Amino acid sequence: MSEWLFRIVINGAMISALYALIAIGFTMIFGVGGVLNLAHGALIMAGAYVFLFLTRTIFLEAVALPVLVAVPLTVAVVAGLSYGLYVGLVRYVEDDVVITFLATVIVATALTELVLGTLGDQPYDFTVLAGTTAVLGTTVSYTELLGFVVSWFAIGLLWYYVTQTDGGRSILATSMSERGAHLTGVDVGSVRARTWLIAGGLAGTAGIFLVGGDPSATPLMWLHPLALAFIIVVIGGIGSIKGSIVAAYGIGYLETLTVELLGQGFRGILSLVVLVVVLLVLPQGLYGREFVHG
Amino acid sequence: MSLLSVEGLTKRFGGLVAVDDVSFAVEAGEIVGLIGPNGAGKSTVFDCLMGVHDVTAGEIRFDGAAITDWPTHRIVTHGMARVSQESNPIGRYSVAANIRLFTLPNSVFSFHGGASDAEIAEYAARVDLDGRLDERPGELPHADVRRLEIAKALATEPDLLLLDEPFAGMNQAEIRTLSEQIESFREAGTTIVVVDHNMGGLMDLVDRTLVLHNGRKLAAGEPDDIVANDAVQQAYLAGEGA
Amino acid sequence: MADAEGRAEGAEGAAAVLARSRSTLRTSVVRPVGSVATRLLEPLDRAASPAAAAFNRSLGQYFGTVTGLQLLVLITTVLALFAAPLWAPYIVGNYLYTLAIACVWAIFAMAWDVQSGYTGYISFGHSALSGAAGYATALLVVNVGPNLPLWVTIPVSVLAALVVGLVVGLPALRLQGPYFSLITFVAVLLFYRLTIGFSEFLGGETGFQEVQAFTYDPTLRFYYMLVPMLLVAVGLTFVARSNVGMVFVAIRENESAVAAAGLNPTAFKLWSFVMSAIPMGIGGVLLAHFSGNVTPSSFVVVNNSIEMIAMAVLGGIGSVLAPIGGAFLFVILRDEVLHGVGHSLRYFTLWMVVLAVLVFARDGVIRRLWHAIGAIGGDSE
Repeated sequence: MSEWLFRIVINGAMISALYALIAIGFTMIFGVGGVLNLAHGALIMAGAYVFLFLTRTIFLEAVALPVLVAVPLTVAVVAGLSYGLYVGLVRYVEDDVVITFLATVIVATALTELVLGTLGDQPYDFTVLAGTTAVLGTTVSYTELLGFVVSWFAIGLLWYYVTQTDGGRSILATSMSERGAHLTGVDVGSVRARTWLIAGGLAGTAGIFLVGGDPSATPLMWLHPLALAFIIVVIGGIGSIKGSIVAAYGIGYLETLTVELLGQGFRGILSLVVLVVVLLVLPQGLYGREFVHG
Repeated sequence: MSLLSVEGLTKRFGGLVAVDDVSFAVEAGEIVGLIGPNGAGKSTVFDCLMGVHDVTAGEIRFDGAAITDWPTHRIVTHGMARVSQESNPIGRYSVAANIRLFTLPNSVFSFHGGASDAEIAEYAARVDLDGRLDERPGELPHADVRRLEIAKALATEPDLLLLDEPFAGMNQAEIRTLSEQIESFREAGTTIVVVDHNMGGLMDLVDRTLVLHNGRKLAAGEPDDIVANDAVQQAYLAGEGA
Repeated sequence: MADAEGRAEGAEGAAAVLARSRSTLRTSVVRPVGSVATRLLEPLDRAASPAAAAFNRSLGQYFGTVTGLQLLVLITTVLALFAAPLWAPYIVGNYLYTLAIACVWAIFAMAWDVQSGYTGYISFGHSALSGAAGYATALLVVNVGPNLPLWVTIPVSVLAALVVGLVVGLPALRLQGPYFSLITFVAVLLFYRLTIGFSEFLGGETGFQEVQAFTYDPTLRFYYMLVPMLLVAVGLTFVARSNVGMVFVAIRENESAVAAAGLNPTAFKLWSFVMSAIPMGIGGVLLAHFSGNVTPSSFVVVNNSIEMIAMAVLGGIGSVLAPIGGAFLFVILRDEVLHGVGHSLRYFTLWMVVLAVLVFARDGVIRRLWHAIGAIGGDSE
């Protein structure tokens, strides 16, 4: 009995940590710019594929960086990609919610085609760190463990940035009141660009660890994390980092419990059902603001 | 029976009580003034009347029906319309089209109903807008945008018209003209409740006044009595003032 | 400090760069071309003016007004489409096939536009509607009998699309903007998973091949697609230009004003779904009978929803008819112009084109063309 309980606690924690990474970036972008970045899932996918590219011989036979180098490099690349997405596209259309919506969805689809075209649609497995260990009697892979640690490290880093540094505080201020921040001299455009950068970094990190096994990297993998990010952020409240973390763990544990009781096949469907239920009952989520028109 | 009867209306937003146990009645054919300093809860009362907010407590009866929980569109169809403090025109439509929207019947099967061009011109004429029917709201001066809002409300053929700060941003001449137009609405059969935070503008227009302060009903009576009322004077001096 | 200022300028600079590139394009390319075109086309506009005036007098209030040149362009296009089997075979490529496909997708693009473009509630799940119709047809054929007459299967399939539309729309429309879009997104994902998950009943990845194609004769098939498309266009234009369409637009522009006007926003939003689901069902039936195949990848996958949206964007969101042009543009680009290019690069290019339109011409290419045509002749603005 206790073995079963520990298994749920441990597995739930592992998956929730990743879900938190997925959700925070998404909610930050919305909180600061009012943009729902539908390309977020694609950025996560980018993280997975860039990491693959750097550590395995997909393209160039000679290039295979060690994990220690590949992880931060992947994070940086995806962060840059996200930043570029804002500065190169979203910046020009963010005045119109509908256009931005459509633009980010097209970007996501385009990125999928890019991956499909260059790498084909067969799934790639990879492990960040080989091997498993036992925690409280549950088998946990080193990858999952590392992912858990990295997730909390990233959250901690973000928390420090957002509460202790000027740059980070301006992001928090802008997400609470754009006009207020503008009036106190904050450069909203640069705040937004930085938020996209950070969100990209978080997404890239999530991508690396999300695909530590199952499901493996495929070009269509942008859909599920996006739906998840949306669900978590809706429950936790759009714009609220704290709320996203809480909701991520909630969803993570719910999923783990379901998988334990009902089997792997139900993993995807459950989160979709939860989303529908939550949207109908609690449109503002637990912590955040309602989405207001215009 | 009163046209509008409000009993124990209370509206709470989280910890903040915006409207606190307000009761009043409006008889058909009256022009009633609802005044109070900024933040007294006047617009919130209107929001509650129009079904924009769910009421925390209290009952609202209008024209024989208990409308407390009704959705906005149903209240409008029943005969109560409101002109908000902030103008809200549809920028891409002309003045005439804006008014036209408010004449459409509430039916998805009505493809070509609604008022005729002549009738729309008539609504516009009641606020002196009939010369501007083809212009866009963005091209109109402020006072005309406010008039468009009034024309839209009139187009729903209301029995009770709620006007929220109709005189804001207008000069003396415009205020006088609008007051006369409001009086003409009453003569045409519409009962009116006017909100303002300034007693002066309403003195000659209203039959009766209600004063709100901090969400509560402070005083009620004829305009002369209200102006002389000590408590009212205090509220205005202590609060944001006239 | 200087750095922050620089970045502030950068942010405002984005809008300025856009404006500058637009005006450069305008002065160096559009105006010269425009003035030549104007001089050539003005006489045509004048000649057609009486006909346009007659049209406007009689049908203008139902379908919108046109200038002389616009009427000419409209008539020419329709005639050219009807005459396609005469000229299409002379163009390198498979144009009769491509045009037929484009007609079906034009229906999808129009149907999407009348709901999403007009009310502003962007649906990502419209392929679930055409999918419902397609699968209904397939299921009827497979489970009930291959000889079911069309006058049975078609209404039932359209009804299926309507039912799915209401099932998705009823709960979804209580929500605002992006939440609504999210639920439609989820609906399509769920539909897809269902076809895979319940593959014994719903055919799985391979779907159904038992539906009978209308005909394999390219010419006849083209007309089978063209005529319904034109009928749908007329019907949806009627709806869009009526009071109902006005309310749809008002919902997008200012939903609280709609309620203040005594109109029930939710009822009208639902109605937009109904007005959209019916043509989606028709299109779904047409697509099913086009090739006889009903598979998840041709009907249900999210990509299909996004393609419909892309077509409407290219043409012009919120105008019902411009998406027809957008659909033709998209399909011809995809299946003819980019024919030699590999699948992924083809789509990547298409998405880049759509992005460019979103940034530089967000009201749509075809719509702009239509307005430009309308401007020739001087008395419009």
